[in-house]
Amino acid sequence: MQQNFLLKKEKLNEFLTALSKEAKVFVPALNENNASCFLPFKNQEIFLSKRTSFSPKKILLPPLEKEFIFRKKSSSFKIEHLLDSKKRVFFGVRSCDTHAIKALDKLYLEYFTEDEWYKAIREDITIIALQCSKSCENGFCKSMGTNNPVGHDLLFVEKEKSFFVEAASERGKQVVQKYRDFFNQTNFIKPEPKLKFGKKLETFGLKEILDKNFSHKKWKSEAKKCLSCSSCTQVCPSCYCFLSFDKFILDSGDSERFRAWDSCQLKRFTKVSHNYVFRESRESRLRQFVMHKLSYFPENHGLPLCVGCGRCISVCPVGIDLTEIASTIRGDVK
Amino acid sequence: MPKKIKAGFYSLSCCEGCEIVMFDLEEKFLKVLNFVEIVEARLFDGKHPKEKLDIAIVEGCVESDVDKKHLLEIRARSKYLVAFGACATIVGIPGIRNALPLEMQKKLKRKAIIPVKEKALPLSAFVKVDALLQGCPAFTHEIIDVLVKIYHGIVPSLEEVPVCNECKERENPCLLFEGVPCLGPVTYAGCKALCPSEKAQCIGCRGFTKDGNFEALREKFQEMGTPKKEIQNLFTYFNKDPFTKEEGEK
Repeated sequence: MQQNFLLKKEKLNEFLTALSKEAKVFVPALNENNASCFLPFKNQEIFLSKRTSFSPKKILLPPLEKEFIFRKKSSSFKIEHLLDSKKRVFFGVRSCDTHAIKALDKLYLEYFTEDEWYKAIREDITIIALQCSKSCENGFCKSMGTNNPVGHDLLFVEKEKSFFVEAASERGKQVVQKYRDFFNQTNFIKPEPKLKFGKKLETFGLKEILDKNFSHKKWKSEAKKCLSCSSCTQVCPSCYCFLSFDKFILDSGDSERFRAWDSCQLKRFTKVSHNYVFRESRESRLRQFVMHKLSYFPENHGLPLCVGCGRCISVCPVGIDLTEIASTIRGDVK
Repeated sequence: MPKKIKAGFYSLSCCEGCEIVMFDLEEKFLKVLNFVEIVEARLFDGKHPKEKLDIAIVEGCVESDVDKKHLLEIRARSKYLVAFGACATIVGIPGIRNALPLEMQKKLKRKAIIPVKEKALPLSAFVKVDALLQGCPAFTHEIIDVLVKIYHGIVPSLEEVPVCNECKERENPCLLFEGVPCLGPVTYAGCKALCPSEKAQCIGCRGFTKDGNFEALREKFQEMGTPKKEIQNLFTYFNKDPFTKEEGEK
């Protein structure tokens, strides 16, 4: 029989402090510029009111990651791999972000046949999901079918002055077992908060509609507004593209290989030999972002890459809205 | 280790602040000296003037014939020439006078100690520039990067990445939502979004990207209610006005 528990809200920081003794705990909190993001737990106030402006992607895929060092030997060189395997706990991951992690897993653990660096970080993560109790203005997770968390170990649902806790995996049960003092057993059933969503995206047959309207005039008119600032891809929890480059170490013959976030909104993304850029126009770059999320990735991997968190809509300074683009194109199809 | 590369630091019309930045390298500066021999520099007491150079690092813009002559002479004896700082790459502060009315320009000209040219121009207007070190002042990590790359025979190239990219990486909320006119979307990154992270708007000291959507950004500023004069000043502070094209320009 499934066992459910309650954790008093005032005990939350105590519980996280206990967790952080054996693992690195990341929690949603406000940074020095008042933006909500995932930060290492330092007994600060936890940001619980809504989903964070920035996703936990940066922990799984660091913006700048050192992959290995080439050590120069007299006639050859040695490669020293740098893997970051630590015990980590993510607290307060929203449903949309758990789906984004699922998409990243699909890519980095299956499609890329076990990316060593991703695997090292991913292997020992305990995910404590937090069910949203309020709707968010730009979210459309219901439309994408990502409004219920997946792949988490524990699920927290706010219930008055407590959290309703459900152990969803073996790892989750072990956590509850280990910190049993914090939890009270309960007979309550899981509360199902009723949510309203600010945005909607009709996904039925969307792929075909977008594919057929590749040169729709909407792309051009949106591109006219677009600043190509790449904020959308930076905040997206499932944007996974990276670039690779080498750097010389200052005073030895050795060098380092880095991996850094890249963005399809930048010209360098498609720069090939002879400095040729094959996605030169802003229109084609913007279209790539939307099409990759809603058409190419679902086709290739069988799950949506857009998880409906609406961060790209919230962050865009000129108000480009993925759902609005999709519905305009759909509206013009007879 | 193979032979050291010979480098020289030169100043044309500027505040010499970029050269001072070299001292911010502190102990790293000693590491730089392991593979770089500084043959000529006013501030570091280089001892071999007029020597052939592997790399000439030139700060400041060209404002007079003296500057021009000096620049051509440096170019003639150096393998690589690096434009150092905002003045050398995009004219920056000295370039503000380019946009002044003719009357005021004449007044300024009379007050100058040495005869100045009609316009302050960047190095690229006169000579081939191999690499750019942008920013006012230039950034220490980039100076090392360029020196190490050239030491290994690689000419660094410029990437079309706007400041916003690094700003979002640092998880800053967008200043444009707070009504602050910020030039981040059209300015070259590399500064790790130094100013926006401190809640100050980007003023474009690293130069405008070729890819920037200036019209859309201006529209956004107007929508935010930024006064017209302020918008004009912002776009022409460090950079040449992106909305007016001069004769002969593409």
